[in-house]
Amino acid sequence: MKEFLQLVVVGVSTGSAYALVGIGMVLIFRTTGIVNFAQGSFAVLGGLFMVALVDDIHGLVAGLAAVLVVAFIGSLVGFVAVGFRHRTTPLASLIITLGIALLITSLNLLAFGDRPHTYPTIFDRAWDIGGVLVQPQYVLVAGVTLLAALLLTLGLQRTIAGQALVACADSRRAAELVGIDVRAVAVVAFAVSAGLSALGWVLLTPVDPVNYDSDVRIAINGFAAAAFGGLASIRLAYVGGLVLGVAQQLVVGYADKIPGLGQQARQYELAAALVIMLVLIGWRARNEVHE
Amino acid sequence: MSAAPLLEIDGLVVKYGQAIALDGVSLSLEAGERVALIGPNGAGKTSLLNGVCGLVKPAAGRVLLDGRDLTGRAPGEIVRAGLTQVPEGRQVFPTLPVEANLLLGAYGREFRHELVSATLRYIGRRGEIAVRLERVYSLMPKLRELRERPAGRTSGGEQQMVAIGRALMAEPRLLAIDELSLGLAPLVVQDLSEFLVGLNEEEGVALLLVEQNAVLALELCARAYVLEAGRLVLAGPSDELERNETVRSAYLGGGLEVADAEPGTQAGPSS
Amino acid sequence: MNLSRSRTLRLAGTLAAGSFAIWLSYQLSPGDRSLYTLMGLYAIVAIGLSLLIGFAGQISLGQGAFYALGAYTAGILTVGLDPDDRLVSEAGIDPALAVVAAPILTGLVAAVIGVPLLRLRGHYLAFATLALHLILLAAIFAQSGFTGGQDPGLAVIEPLEIFGLQITGVTGGTARHTAIVWGLVLVTLLVALNLVGSRAGRALQAIATSERTAAAAGINVSAYKLRLFVLSAGLAGLAGALYAFMLQFLSPDAFGVFLSIQFVVMVAVGGLGSVYGAVVGAVAITWLEHELRELGARPSLLGFDLPDQAPQVFSVGVFAVILIVVILFFPRGLLPALGDGIRRLRPVRHEN
Repeated sequence: MKEFLQLVVVGVSTGSAYALVGIGMVLIFRTTGIVNFAQGSFAVLGGLFMVALVDDIHGLVAGLAAVLVVAFIGSLVGFVAVGFRHRTTPLASLIITLGIALLITSLNLLAFGDRPHTYPTIFDRAWDIGGVLVQPQYVLVAGVTLLAALLLTLGLQRTIAGQALVACADSRRAAELVGIDVRAVAVVAFAVSAGLSALGWVLLTPVDPVNYDSDVRIAINGFAAAAFGGLASIRLAYVGGLVLGVAQQLVVGYADKIPGLGQQARQYELAAALVIMLVLIGWRARNEVHE
Repeated sequence: MSAAPLLEIDGLVVKYGQAIALDGVSLSLEAGERVALIGPNGAGKTSLLNGVCGLVKPAAGRVLLDGRDLTGRAPGEIVRAGLTQVPEGRQVFPTLPVEANLLLGAYGREFRHELVSATLRYIGRRGEIAVRLERVYSLMPKLRELRERPAGRTSGGEQQMVAIGRALMAEPRLLAIDELSLGLAPLVVQDLSEFLVGLNEEEGVALLLVEQNAVLALELCARAYVLEAGRLVLAGPSDELERNETVRSAYLGGGLEVADAEPGTQAGPSS
Repeated sequence: MNLSRSRTLRLAGTLAAGSFAIWLSYQLSPGDRSLYTLMGLYAIVAIGLSLLIGFAGQISLGQGAFYALGAYTAGILTVGLDPDDRLVSEAGIDPALAVVAAPILTGLVAAVIGVPLLRLRGHYLAFATLALHLILLAAIFAQSGFTGGQDPGLAVIEPLEIFGLQITGVTGGTARHTAIVWGLVLVTLLVALNLVGSRAGRALQAIATSERTAAAAGINVSAYKLRLFVLSAGLAGLAGALYAFMLQFLSPDAFGVFLSIQFVVMVAVGGLGSVYGAVVGAVAITWLEHELRELGARPSLLGFDLPDQAPQVFSVGVFAVILIVVILFFPRGLLPALGDGIRRLRPVRHEN
């Protein structure tokens, strides 16, 4: 039971970070129709910038700077990915984000090399809660993530700029007709999504080192989280991230007990994500057909 | 004041790929006027609006507002120039409350390429916009009652009011309404028509009514254009058109077209 | 009449170009030939992917996985399923049979994951196939007893022989192997062109234009998409199987995720939905990738010392930029854009 709880704690934490990536994908997909492949790259950039900055300046400032810089990069990515009016289709935009992800990966390789990066957590020891050892960093990730998701939801509901994003998601045509520039909204959606993804890995890097090519794994997991709500719901993407994180930890934790898998259990983390995604999607597809 | 008409469309051509949806249409509309554009389904009415409002880039021709050439400009610019479209099928923002729908009408007007400065301009004009919102609420008191409700959870007629109210928030001088009557009960259509006539006469907002329902459109407007297969086939005062044999047989006579498209919305034949 | 004449002309041109490509296999030096073979293998994959992207509007980032799956299927079947029996040379099946089995297996895998995914909008397929690729790589590493893993890798001892003719077994493959690969490119091209022109092709065109309209016209959209996906996976599996006999050695290093992305780049550069474009894209991109790697492998360039990662950074980064620029400015691909340009230059002729 203790072991189980231990795994759940780790799962909730990594799942929260996946959730932020997934929420960003939902935000971009709903407002622009684009599936953003570079979402994993934003997370990697967040983690790597944090590692680069944290030695020289206060952790809080470093984290904030990393998130803001990545958000800015995200807005540039959005600007390019949206392309030209009447000319760039969502499919073309997806391929463009794929290209951008490749570009960021190769630049990261050049700047940071091909070894994993991490930075030390500010907490010096784990908390003992009823016999379950809990790393404070995990709690921090889960807490900040939840806060960010709540703030985002509130911002979308209560501010006029947020409502403009929702308007584009509701009906892009009607949004255009009232004069909202959907391309401008797309740039903001990309910036916010990039910032969220970066935030996840700014916080998670001490317990989950980041490599220049971690982006693919993160993008797939983020997409799986978003797929939980059919790429449509921020709340469900959040839940999807948590479910995915916990399920993966359980697979990793218990798989080495299955004879034959042994040490390779970690390799199946992603397989777990895919299987969960396929099952959920299959279930959704069936529901859609029956509607 | 310049002598130029409020809206002037000159030889507008709209293509979707190879298909020509609108083949050189010219029309004009004076400030404060009510004009109808009628024609069967697929005649190119919506294509014309899309071309004028900047949703599609016209292949040829010009669109002038107050003599200013706005051909192929972004939708936001058209809105700022004074022309707002109420789209077919209403297209409110269903998950947002009615009031947010209305306010976005004012917000969209502030857009010039990016969001931050638009938001700042919007906040700067918040006072004026609040006054404007009050004005819309007093014109359509029903909307004030519904202000908190998500627009998707209101009736069809109420949604049409939200769409019109949202358009009015952009302070238009010309309101282009695409299929006002589509899918609405006759009583609701009558209420909305009366409201629009009042709006036109009291506030001086010009109306371009784009309708399949020719009976309704000719009744409301003094002047009308008839569009068929992407070309204008007739134009003139409504009472003349009502007497015209072609129009009578095609749109009014048996009321076949109208009745097929919109059972229940047909007012009695004018004869 | 005009139409059928232009079709005949096009067919003749395709056959002539194909014959030239096969003839070229015998003219090249063994060093150039291995790159040329690779171009042909990638062209087969790209034609399949081009059909999928162009007509189903879906991206697969798993073509590299299907290619790898085809290669390992052929390799393992040839050397024998049971690692302990492999030393006995009769453990495996005939290499020619293995080449046939590989595309069938990859097609089956594609069918299993395609059924739930292709019903939905939103490019679920892209991510699922990419995940499939990563999982396959993980499995190759993890099941090293079975696949040889990274070290020592899988040595495919048996050379490919068809009707007693030795096809591979010489370093870099024989000219015969290259010729067979390019012959298959020609066959694939003809099959794809025939598909585009057939009744199924018209259904596919309808789907590509508007899924909703196609569905309303009674076309089973998801079934057509699934067939395209299975076809494209099968072609990748076939190319992979032929690759297994080229070096007679398999290691997961040859099947990185980048390979899958590279296939998409080939199709995007050549032209989404253009089967000729896919071939041109495959040849151009394979050549470019090779050159960029060579450039990056130099110790210095323009007076700057190059870091160890330069080959990778060069090929991946430059690729990325090419991809972005092409898709932004020539969304239909370079070959169709070129065609449009020529058509615009030519005076308008009477068309009946």
